[in-house]
Parts: sequence; structure tokens; C-alpha cells
Amino acid sequence: MTGEDPGPLIRLYGLTGGRARPQGESFDLVAIVVTAGDPAEPADLIPEHRAVLALCRRPTPVADVAAHLRLPLNITRVILGDLRRDGLVRIERPRPMAQAIDERIYREVLDGLRSL
Amino acid sequence: MGYAAFETGTATVAPALAIKILIAGGFGVGKTTMVGTISEIRPLHTEELLSDRGIGVDDTSGVESKVTTTVALDFGRITIREGLWLYLFGTPGQDRFWFMWDELALGALGAVVLADTRRLQDCFPAVDYFEQREIPFVVGVNCFDGARRYEPGKVRRALGLGEHIPVVLCDVRDRRSVRDVLTTLVTYAVKGA
Ligand SMILES: Nc1nc2c(ncn2[C@@H]2O[C@H](COP(=O)(O)OP(=O)(O)OP(=O)(O)O)[C@@H](O)[C@H]2O)c(=O)[nH]1
Ligand SMILES: [Mg+2]
Repeated sequence: MTGEDPGPLIRLYGLTGGRARPQGESFDLVAIVVTAGDPAEPADLIPEHRAVLALCRRPTPVADVAAHLRLPLNITRVILGDLRRDGLVRIERPRPMAQAIDERIYREVLDGLRSL
Repeated sequence: MGYAAFETGTATVAPALAIKILIAGGFGVGKTTMVGTISEIRPLHTEELLSDRGIGVDDTSGVESKVTTTVALDFGRITIREGLWLYLFGTPGQDRFWFMWDELALGALGAVVLADTRRLQDCFPAVDYFEQREIPFVVGVNCFDGARRYEPGKVRRALGLGEHIPVVLCDVRDRRSVRDVLTTLVTYAVKGA
């Protein structure tokens, strides 16, 4: 996307209705997104929504959803907020980090980095 | 930071965890280069569209220009395994985007503050920011060609950093060097050493 070309911007704003903030409770750029329950999705989903639901059958961080869609992070978050409102995805709520990184995960991260 | 164990339908999906690390520092210090050196994904650079709220500039130019205000944000990913990732976010350099820092910093494991010894003062705002919010950070002294080599201890004193804060020399173009900085940060943030 370039600053000069208005085309993509207009299209992006079509996706979000010009909103820069997602609906509802805020969520992190790396919050994990999961497609909710049964894939009985509405027939009239736009391609971007459909792509998110397919991707997030596996738990996927918000930033990765953006990378897959090739969309800016905040546009992606607006899309995810809409899907959450419609009950089509679940987005994890923030948790204290101290709980998240236990000794095993810490070791895994260090080993992973060292093998790069 | 993201962590969750979800149930999708009847199948339980393994817990997934995404760890967020910020790369900060002054203009042109090597943030984008650092993210690019270590990241496994290409779409590193996104132009983030901003709303008219929270910017407080461009007021003279009207609504249309506000709609197209963008801020460049770099991000990269390192996959440790399925369901465990490190995400690196390069923080925007310009002061008017501080509000984005707040969003980026929330839930971050920690930060790398990159410093260039030729203009050490450029990293003061980042150091202040993380100190005030008690976000663990390490200082990476990016060794540009032609810059005098400093002892990490001298950089620490010049920045007024406590003894416990790691200061490491690095070359952000070098994968191993970036890896070592990240290893230092992860250890410091988790173990406090
Ligand atoms: N010689 C040398 N050049 C470097 C090094 N790190 C970065 N550079 C160069 O310095 C310039 C700026 O690097 P960037 O990675 O774009 O810096 P940045 O912090 O992202 O810059 P802004 O986003 O504009 O604030 C680029 O041309 C890099 O190639 C280094 O370690 N040695
Ligand atoms: Mg940059």
C-alpha cells in the first residue's frame, strides 16, 4: 500500500466503514484469535471475513492475521472486532505475563532463539 | 502477550502463546534493520491508517487528510514451535505517535532500546518511557561502521542506567548478534538477570 494511491485506502475504508478502532473490549496486537465453534458461517461473508475464519481454525495471533490478509494491523483489528461481535471468532483476553511464561516456555524460547 | 487455551467445537486446541517484544530507539538507529534481520516473514512494513482521534496534528488540512494519516510500523515474527511465537514490533520514531507506543507496550514482555554512540541522547526518550512504565528493557549499542567503540559500562553511565540493566554491543545486520540481544532480553525479563 502506498500513500499516494487512494484506491487501496478507499477499499480498506469500505471494509471498516472508516473506523480505526475495533468494536467492544480492546485486544492486543498479538492476542490469539480462534474461529468460534461450528463453521456454519453466514453465506454473505465478505472474502476477508471468510479468510479470517479459515485461518483461525488454528489459534492465530492478530498480527499474523494481518500478515495473511496483507492488511494493516488496525484495519485487521476492526475486522476481527466485527467478527467477534457476530460471534464468529473468539479473541483471548489479556493475561498477566508472569502466568504465561513458565519455566518450560522460557526454556523453549531460549532454545528456539539459540538454534536460529 | 497472548495466551489462551481454546475449545473449538468439540476439539480442544493446544494452548497458544505469542510473546511481544518492542524494538525502540532514535531515528535511523537500525530498528527496521533489526526486525528484518531476524524475522521469518516478509510483510514487515505496514502503513497503519489512523483515525482523526488521538493525533492532534494535521488539523488545518481537514477531515480528508486525517483519514489518510498513516504511521509506519514494522513487525516481524520468530516461530519457536507451533503455537509459540515471538513478535518484534519496531516502534514509530516520530514523537507524535507516542500514543501508539502505549498500545504497543501493553502486555509486552520487554523492549530492546537501540543506541548509536554518535548520538546517544536520541535513545533517552525510549529509556525514560520504559523506565517509567517498569517495562524490562536492554540497551543494544548498534555498532555502526566508523563509530567509536565504547565499553558497555561507559554507555550505561552516560545513560544513567542502573547496574542491573543489560547493555550489549550489537550489529543489527547480523543474525547471531540480534539473536544474542533477544536472548539477553528474554532472560532479563523473565529472570531479572
Ligand atoms: N553500517 C551500518 N549501517 C546500519 C546498521 N544498522 C542500520 N544501518 C543502516 O542505517 C540506516 C537506518 O536503519 P533503519 O533500520 O532503517 O533504522 P530505523 O531505526 O528503522 O530508522 P527509522 O525507522 O527511520 O527511525 C539504513 O540505511 C541501514 O542500512 C549497522 O549496524 N551498520
Ligand atoms: Mg524504521
